[in-house]
Order: sequence, then C-alpha cells, then structure tokens
Amino acid sequence: MEEEKTVNELVGEFPFLDGAVRVPRARRIFVTVPLDRFQSVFRRLVEAKGFTYLTTITGLDTGETFTLLYHLAAENGVVCTLGTSVPRANPEIESVSRFFNGGDIYERELVDLLGIRVNGLPKGNRYPLPDDWPANQYPLRKDWRPEGAPAEPAEE
Amino acid sequence: MSDHSITVPIGPQHPALKEPAGFMLQVSGEKITGVSIRLGYNHRGIEKACEDRSYIQDIYLIERICGICSHSHSTAFIQAVEEIAGLQVPPRAQYIRTLVAELERLHSHLLWLGVAGHEIGFDTLLMYTWRDRESVLDLLADLTGNRVNYGINTIGGVRRDIDPAKIENILKIVDAVEERTKYYINLATEETTLIQRLSGVGALSKEDALRLGAVGPTARASGVARDVRRDDPYISYGELDFKVCTSDQCDVYGRTVVRLLELMESFSIIRQVCAKMPDGPVSVKAPRKVPAGEALSRYEAPRGEDVHYVRANGTDRPERVKVRAPTLANLQSVAKMLEDRYLADTPIIIAAIDPCFSCTDRMIVTDERSGSTRGMCWDELRRHGIEWYRARGIDTTRIKLALP
Amino acid sequence: MAQILFHIFIFPGILFLLVMSFLIEFIDRKLHARLQNRVGPPWFQPLADFIKLLGKEVVITDEADVTIFRVMPLVALTAAVTAFFYIPLWGTEAIYSFNGDLIVVLYLLTLPTLSFFLGGWYSRSVYSAIGATRALTQLFAYEVPLLLSVLASALLAGTWSLSELTRFYDAHPGWWLFNLVGFVVALIALLGKLEKVPFDIPEAETEIVAGYLTEYSGSLYAFIRLALNVEMIVGSALLAAVFFPWGLSCGPLAGFAFFILKLLVIMALITLLRSALARLRIDQMIQFCWKYVSTLAFAQVIATLIFKGVFVK
Repeated sequence: MEEEKTVNELVGEFPFLDGAVRVPRARRIFVTVPLDRFQSVFRRLVEAKGFTYLTTITGLDTGETFTLLYHLAAENGVVCTLGTSVPRANPEIESVSRFFNGGDIYERELVDLLGIRVNGLPKGNRYPLPDDWPANQYPLRKDWRPEGAPAEPAEE
Repeated sequence: MSDHSITVPIGPQHPALKEPAGFMLQVSGEKITGVSIRLGYNHRGIEKACEDRSYIQDIYLIERICGICSHSHSTAFIQAVEEIAGLQVPPRAQYIRTLVAELERLHSHLLWLGVAGHEIGFDTLLMYTWRDRESVLDLLADLTGNRVNYGINTIGGVRRDIDPAKIENILKIVDAVEERTKYYINLATEETTLIQRLSGVGALSKEDALRLGAVGPTARASGVARDVRRDDPYISYGELDFKVCTSDQCDVYGRTVVRLLELMESFSIIRQVCAKMPDGPVSVKAPRKVPAGEALSRYEAPRGEDVHYVRANGTDRPERVKVRAPTLANLQSVAKMLEDRYLADTPIIIAAIDPCFSCTDRMIVTDERSGSTRGMCWDELRRHGIEWYRARGIDTTRIKLALP
Repeated sequence: MAQILFHIFIFPGILFLLVMSFLIEFIDRKLHARLQNRVGPPWFQPLADFIKLLGKEVVITDEADVTIFRVMPLVALTAAVTAFFYIPLWGTEAIYSFNGDLIVVLYLLTLPTLSFFLGGWYSRSVYSAIGATRALTQLFAYEVPLLLSVLASALLAGTWSLSELTRFYDAHPGWWLFNLVGFVVALIALLGKLEKVPFDIPEAETEIVAGYLTEYSGSLYAFIRLALNVEMIVGSALLAAVFFPWGLSCGPLAGFAFFILKLLVIMALITLLRSALARLRIDQMIQFCWKYVSTLAFAQVIATLIFKGVFVK
C-alpha cells in the first residue's frame, strides 16, 4: 500500500524514526520526531515524498511541552502527521512558510492561541484573536480559563 | 494623496459579506493595488469549549460551527471519534449520512449560485435558486427534523431511520431540482452579462492553487483534481460511482461551472444511495468514555476539504479538537485572485470561494474632534433610538403590538 | 397666477408627480418581484416607506459639508420636476414651450446626476466618493448616445421644441417608426441615467454599499428616492414624447390615457431589463456605450439626414 511504501522509505532514510512511526489505518501515518530533526524530515516529506499540501497545523498543550502536529497530505489521499514538541519554557519553532505560502495562517493560530514563537513568520495581521487581546493570554493552554469561568468545569 | 490611491474597507461589516471579515483594499481609481486581510472577528473559541464538554455535547457544538455545512463538521468530528473508539458503524447509517451530505451539497451550491448572482447585481438568479434550494431544505427537514443544524449524527450511527416513502419523496424532488439545474447550466453558458462579469475574473493558476493550498471547487476550477471523496473515501463514497468535476478556466466562471456540474453529480450520487440503501440497524451503542488515541478525519464539504483532528485521553471529554474549515485554506488564494483586478470584481471574487465566517453585533463610534473611539453596544443603540423618538413625541416603548 | 401655481403644485406639478412616483415605484417593484417569483409589496408600500423615512433620524457625518449635503437632494428633485413642464402630456402643446426646450429638458435631467455627485462627494465617505466618481464617469458614457438619439428625432421634425416635434409627427403619422433604433439607444442610455441594472454601477450595493447614497439617511434619503422616481417618470415621459409622439391630438382625455400607456410600457421595459440582466463593470459599461450604443446612435442620425435630404424637400 501507498502508506507502507512511504513509511519504509522514510525509516530507511532516517533510521532514528524506527519505532516512531504509526500507521493506525489505511492512508494515515503518524510520525513523531525530536525538534532538532524536524526540519530535515519535513523537508524530505515535502520535497521528495509528494506531501505537497499542508492541510493544517494542530497545537496541543501537553504539560511540560507543546506538541505541534503538521498534517501533510499527498495527492493520493495519504496524510502524514508529522509531530514534534517544543519545551513550554521556551516554545520556539521555525516557520514552514518557505515551503507553504499559505501556511502562515496556521502558524499565526499557534502564536495567538498557544503563545509559540514562530521564527521567520511573514509580517501580517494577527489571527484569530482581536488586536486588543491582553498580552500573555493564550486560550488554548490548559491552565487558561476564561474570565469568570469556574476553575473546573461542573459535572453534568 | 500623491499616488492617488485610497483605502477602501470591505468589511468587517459590508453588504457583500454575510459574515465579518476585513479586506482592506488599496485602490487606485478602480484598480486594486494592494490587499490586507484581517480575520478572526468572531473567534468563538469552539475548540477550547469542546475540551470542556462531553463527546455527545461536542457533536451539537461542532454542528454549529457553520450554518451551511453543519453536517460536514459533525460527520468529520464523529468519524474521528469513531476511529479512536474502534466502532463499526452499520452501513445503513453510513448511507444515510451520505444522503444528508449530498443533500447538503445541493442546498449549499444552490445557495452559492444565488449569492454569486447577487454579488454581480443579478438578483433574479438569487430569487430563483433560493426557491429551488427551499425544496432541498424541506427534504432535509423531512429527513432529519431540521432545516439547518440537522442533528442526525450521533457517535456510532445516525439518530433517525429513513422509510421508503421518504426515499420516494427525495427522488421526486431531486428530479425537479435537476431540471432546474439544467436550466441554470443553460443560463450560465448563454447569458452575456453573466459571462462578461465572471470569465477572466479572479484568476488563480494551477500552480498558485497548489502552492497556496486551495481546496474544493476553488482548486478544482483551477484544474487541480482534488476531492477527498475520491482520494480518501469516507462514509459510503468508496462504494459509489461519481466524477470529480474540474475546469481549466481558472477563474470565477470556472468555479461556477464546477459547482453546477457538481450539482449534477450530486443528483446521481443521491439516486445511487437511494437505490443501494442497505438494510440493518442505523446505529451501534457507543461508549461514553473514549479510549486514549488520536485520529485525523477528512471530509469533502461543499466548500472544500474539512479537516478535524481529535485526541482522546480516556475520559468522556476530548483532550483536543482541531478544526480546519475549508474557507481558511481558500482565503490564502483570495489575495492572489484580487491582485490587479477591479474594485467591482471584489465581491464576486471573495464570494467565489464560498466563504463562511460568522456574526457579531457591535458598532464603533469614532469622534474625529476628540480623537476617541468607543463602541456602542446593542443596549446603548436601543436606548439612543428610544430617546430620539421620545424627543419627537413618539414613545416607541408604549406601542403595544397585537400579537396573534 | 392661480393657474401657474396650480400647474406647479397640483397638476402636472409636485402633487401629481408625487402620486405618480409612488405609483410607478409600486408598479416597478411589483413587476420586478413577480418576475423574480416573489409576491412583491402592497400598493401603499412606497408611500409607507416615504413616510417612515421622513420620521427617521438624519445622521450627517462630521466631515461632510452640511449645506451641500442637505441641499443636493432638493436640487435634484426640483430639476426633475421642472423638466416635466416642457413635455406634452395630453395634447400637442406642453404647458411651457419654446424653441430649444428639448435641450433644456435634457440639461435638467443631467442635473440630478450632478447633484448626487456633489452630495456624495461632500459626504466624505470612501464609498460615496467612489460612487460619485462612477456616476460622473457613467454620465459621460450615456449622455452622448442619449443626445444623439433625441437629436435624430428632432432633426426629422426640424425643430428643437418638444411641442412642435409632437405636432410634426402628428401631421406625419407613421414617421415615428423611423426612429425606433433611436428609441432602443435612448432606452439603454436611460437605464444608465436612472442607474438601473445593468448600469447600477454608481450604487452597486455589494461593492460600494450604496455609492453616493451611503451617508444619506432619514428625510434627505426620502427626497433622493423621490427625485430618482421623478427622474424615472420624466425620463420615460421624454422618451414617450420624442419617440412615440402619436395619439395626442384626439382630445385631452384620450391623449393623457395614451401618455400613461406609453409611460407604463417604457417602465415595464426598464423593469424587465433590470430583472433579466447582471450588473456590468464600469469599464465594460463605458466600452459598451461608446463602442456599440454611440455607433448605433450615429447610424440613426446619418440615416435620418439621408432620409431627410432625399425625401423631404
């Protein structure tokens, strides 16, 4: 199958990926890489493996780290989710806007909602929070609660 | 000004936009020389809200992300949840989901056609297509109980079964709407002012469409045969026979043609679904708590690919829900399409990606002399109105309406 | 004196035009709605809208030039009403006529556009400014074909007076058929003048909100709408007088009935066109007007000159 082929090629090229790749079902690949290897794997996927379309970027608050998932799609329907983590104390990552001109909007979401610094992000309007949003308030962090909301959601 | 250019704000509130989004256009005469897009006017925090609600509650919340492609969002979400929970959804449920999905595509594309007509000042087309759309909405109401937020999806299946009488009704109305669609296809290929206003407008080359990650009819009208229904089949699409409609026009006219042809494909899909509808239950019992795991779900909404990512943590609430609506992907292309076009083309170019934002009710009062800007909320506006009329001897608060 | 006042204020002046404009607006809206498969408004809707608008708050922006902003709707209305007195309505003689009144009517019909331009320009809003500029740009495109087509009819009659023109065609029944091409040209130009689809470019709702009307509200807006309606009546009446100058010598009542009939036919044509077409872009509109409509108008003028040179000695 397509995804098996991609996975085998990828593990062959990047031996450290052995064990870090998951194929839960047809046309879905989940790969986790350390931050320092992220750029090289990303470039390989985009430039040589046909993952030419960045569907979106998901940012998660995973406690001590923030996990960033780049969902890359190929024209044959396979989606490879390339994940990496950045430390909460210093959340910083390179922009992928040099690969994807349209990708900056998803990176802006990471900036606004999780407070991740994205280096090399082109200048532009912020998204999606309003211009008068208070600094250092990042709604998607797990320790963030809207004003007036109970600390723990009530059980229904 | 020295360069004779002015800034024209299209939005956040503007007749061409049905929902808020800000397009600041630099205009020199009638030509657009620069575009700056500002989004997020009504970021509602749905992704965050999902984390505080149970999976069942989330279905209804997610269904309300969009008023037009509500079934798309809820299906994309439950697909991900079902994949994590390892549920085998009965085929009959999948077919009913497909049926609702295609009916939704019908009403969405008919809606778009009308809006496109309105944007170029062709209101008659709006009135015609929306009347036809009404019969599709009636079908959806008959099938699901609701016209817009259908509420038919549940984890593990659908909430309502369908009977032969309803199928017969669907086939009858689909036949009627198909006749009308043929008329619109005729119209789109013959009406001169329509063609003049659409062709060559909002050009997006195949390379640009790929580079900027365009999806849905926007991409397909630029020759990119990208359709999740075929590339990554979900619900029952793997068992159905349909074409991916593309056009090499690369402009608004191409987008119109693609949508019209897709309507014809949808009629065929609906007929196939009605003919092949398998017997059996329409749902399986789903656990309240979903085991830890993650899934990425794709769905071809009428506007383009809808992506949902769900991560579960073993409780009855998701750890994270990420939604990428098709408009966000296509907006990247809008700035490109607007380049060097006429101001008059702006509404139809923006409308051609079939954007979907959302609504708000605030007004800004700017006082030039004091230089201060203040918002006027709904209550203040209401009070101002009441006092203005009271000063003229009319007390609107004392008018009693005789309600039946 | 009493008769003059009666003419100005009652018939065929302000009161008559007021009633007619509501009636015409109703017919236009109802027909438009029926063509679009809608029910349409009840007969009193235009009147109700007018009264409602009179009662609304007038908001004037801080930057606007208040005097010009306030006066322009009235200038437009006055100009349109004045033009009406020179058009023969029930006989071959208008209330006022002199040799050259045809030019005056055309001139007076240009005034509303100019006053809307000024009103829009001085309301100092981006949308108004663009709409105002578009209105003027459009004016240059339709004014020439309109003048040429009217000129063709006047040339044939050999007069610049509307009343004399009517008498001429009355004496030469059937000659008006010669000007039918001119009528088509004039109808297209009239669509541009009245800013109806496909030429509603200066007030294109989805592009520039309402164009030069954007900042107008309350009673000022009510008067602009009234002026536009009166302009529509006078424009249609002018076309009726120039291109369909028949049936006016068979008594005032029958003549007036014919006039209303002609007015309604022209109105219905305008409504039909605006229901069936999409809005053009300003560049397309200008190209269309200069390339095709003006050429057609020239052809009509030349044909008239040849016809006159050969047959009318």
